[in-house]
Amino acid sequence: MELQEWNPLGYKNLYRDLFKKHLARQDSLLKQGRPVGWFFSFHPSEIIYIFDVVPAYPEQYSAYCAARGSSVDLIDASISKGYGHFLCDYFKTTVGMIEEPEKATKPLMPKPDFIVDTRALCVAHHEMTEVFARKYGIPKYTINYPFWTSDALGYVDELTKIPEMVEELYIEYSISKLKGLLEFMEKVTKIPLSDEKFKSVFETSEKTSKLLIEVAKLMMSKPTPGSQREIADLVFLAFFVLGSNYALEFAEKGYEMIKGRVKRKEGVVPEEKFRLLTFGIMPWHSLSLYEYCEMLGATFPVNLYVNASLHLCDSKKPFESMVRRSMHFTNSTYDLMDGVIENARKADLDGALLLENTGCRITSMIIRPLADTLQEELGLPSLILEAPQCDPRIMPLERAKTQVEAFIESLK
Amino acid sequence: MLAKKVDRMEKIEKVEKIDALYNFFLTRSLLRKYKENGKKIIASLCNNVPEEIIHSMGAVPVRLLGLAKSTELASAKIPTWLCLYSKRLMEDGLRREFDFLDGIVGMTSDDTKTHLFSAYSFYLKPGFSYLIQIPYVRDKSSIEFFEKELKRFVEKFESFFNTEFSEEKLGESIEIYNRFRDLLNDLSRLRWEDEPKVSGEEWLKILLASTSMLKEELIEHLEDILEKVNDSEGYKDYKLRIHLSGTDFYDVEIVKMIEDLGGIVVSDDLCTSSGYYIGNVGGRTLRDLARRYLTQSACVLTARLEHLSIEDRLNFIMERIGESRANAIVLLKDRGCEICGHQCPFILQEFTDIPTLVLDLDTPYPTEQLKTRVEAFVESYG
Ligand code: SF4
Ligand code: SF4
Repeated sequence: MELQEWNPLGYKNLYRDLFKKHLARQDSLLKQGRPVGWFFSFHPSEIIYIFDVVPAYPEQYSAYCAARGSSVDLIDASISKGYGHFLCDYFKTTVGMIEEPEKATKPLMPKPDFIVDTRALCVAHHEMTEVFARKYGIPKYTINYPFWTSDALGYVDELTKIPEMVEELYIEYSISKLKGLLEFMEKVTKIPLSDEKFKSVFETSEKTSKLLIEVAKLMMSKPTPGSQREIADLVFLAFFVLGSNYALEFAEKGYEMIKGRVKRKEGVVPEEKFRLLTFGIMPWHSLSLYEYCEMLGATFPVNLYVNASLHLCDSKKPFESMVRRSMHFTNSTYDLMDGVIENARKADLDGALLLENTGCRITSMIIRPLADTLQEELGLPSLILEAPQCDPRIMPLERAKTQVEAFIESLK
Repeated sequence: MLAKKVDRMEKIEKVEKIDALYNFFLTRSLLRKYKENGKKIIASLCNNVPEEIIHSMGAVPVRLLGLAKSTELASAKIPTWLCLYSKRLMEDGLRREFDFLDGIVGMTSDDTKTHLFSAYSFYLKPGFSYLIQIPYVRDKSSIEFFEKELKRFVEKFESFFNTEFSEEKLGESIEIYNRFRDLLNDLSRLRWEDEPKVSGEEWLKILLASTSMLKEELIEHLEDILEKVNDSEGYKDYKLRIHLSGTDFYDVEIVKMIEDLGGIVVSDDLCTSSGYYIGNVGGRTLRDLARRYLTQSACVLTARLEHLSIEDRLNFIMERIGESRANAIVLLKDRGCEICGHQCPFILQEFTDIPTLVLDLDTPYPTEQLKTRVEAFVESYG
């Protein structure tokens, strides 16, 4: 198949700048002896900036190891210690780092002084937190968000996570746990909560979240203005550094860049042949798969994984906003896909590339109902690839390319 | 001589009785009969669903377990690497084996159970469905929340089935369930004797029967069995007293195989056994029920404040081993089980002074291989 010239948005430099600032902050806080906390996706990231702690993220670190090629050894190390084969790759990679640090990509994650887990996405976060907390002998705090069901949550806008109706009991309990988290943070960081800081961090979070939502909306323009190689990494901003000034800077610049592209009607490739939706955690070891698809003319205006990571933060209602972060379709029963379908309809799609992340019960169990719903509601065919996000052995890139080629051929 | 004969007869009668009960589990015949008599049949997808609530509203709670030997239909809907429990349940559902159900109740106990509830509801449209949100922390605010969550469940149930909840009836159901638990406790103590009077195979059959019939009906059988067991002779020809560790395990054949090879299973921490019955409800209200299900159970993921659930589980295993005087552990490690996957290494580390055999379970079972491993284990430590 003929490959087209690939013309990404150019977010690469923005990410470089973002990571530089993020790491500089880490270094400076570590030097000051500030405590280290481990956090997971969908956690209330604002608390990191309110309490000036050093954050480390097992998911992000594992993705980094996958991109640098060390995750396979770390996964094997965890299995050799008796942990299960069919567990989340992020867990296995992180345990591997703890057990056999010499095999892990440097710099290693700093040792935690405490861990925060939420059930905003998966129970696996809670399960792995237990393991890490026991290994390090450190305190942990758990926030039990609900797994949303249609009797508790009405229609939810896919990007803002603003619901039409929500069960008060669940909001109340989640907020009480979030307030408990602030007390926990005061205890582990030994500094009292500053109301002023709380307010300003949430204001920053609000501005950033608005811009990120705009970026996701603009991605649905015709032709698709950007590549998933760069858009997929937006989850880092949305999950982990939302509330920081450097995330806001990124969002401001990123928004202007994509807006310009759309205005000029410039696409990621000269001739867009097919518009695909994608879902599943990116195979961090083989991100070039997206680039390859795009060069074949199949672009990705919608990434449901990125969309799930977004929410509109309302600084006037910070606690409610934190709970709304859990209202994504991956934390809901499968009959709650209306918001996803509506957005997909707007994007005028031709098909879907879905990734089954072996060991991740969340993405892997949603994949088929999602494929069925896309077919039923929008007549969209799907290609499902089994692709654990940190282990390239199950889906070698070349085999994936062949499957994608055949799928694209079938769309014609 | 005569006494010995009576013993043996009691033993035969006991075995027959237990097999007859177990048959209710295999055939689900009683459930169909209840259905014909106008009862609503409600499946629970987790051992921590408070069945007393369902029971008090006149319906029959069933701890749903699949019997399928292969899972080709399920494989088209859910990943093939999931635990056996979820695959078999989905398979039987897709094969329309559960057509007698009027609803399902799930729980957010782990990712598999949560998404199994979602997948089952999505593909099989079971009529009534409710997912109980369980807190992972056993603090005051979580118990209060859990009580409200149970109230919410009651309200949804009432409005769907046009029935009414009453605390009085709940109290009666709690009494029945507590009686069921007391009887199992009595029976369990007979497993701890030097010559255990109930084998692991018999025990599991009784537990499985209990998932497929009304507890009041089972109680009568249990009283009878207890009498027979009390009068019967125990098992002496064993080499190892085994504690069985695992999660939603219910394969009688594996337990039988272990016992045929010289082990005797005297205790366990299985979700389908200890996790299902241990812990009486200390009152007659929803609050008491909330407290029991959150604080007393052997659930593998909830923990006391500032504790880890794995520590609670290790203590639970320790207690069971202490009571039963088990001198070996067989760890049933379902390859697709997320709890086994995370917790097995800790169990192995904690019990280094007790011989432990890890059996990796995946279907189809490599029967010969499992046999050889168990045989060697029993020979080495028995
Ligand atoms: S990959 Fe799956 S199991 Fe792992 S952290 Fe993400 S959602 Fe949870
Ligand atoms: S505890 Fe294990 S066996 Fe039970 S449902 Fe969860 S994953 Fe499956």
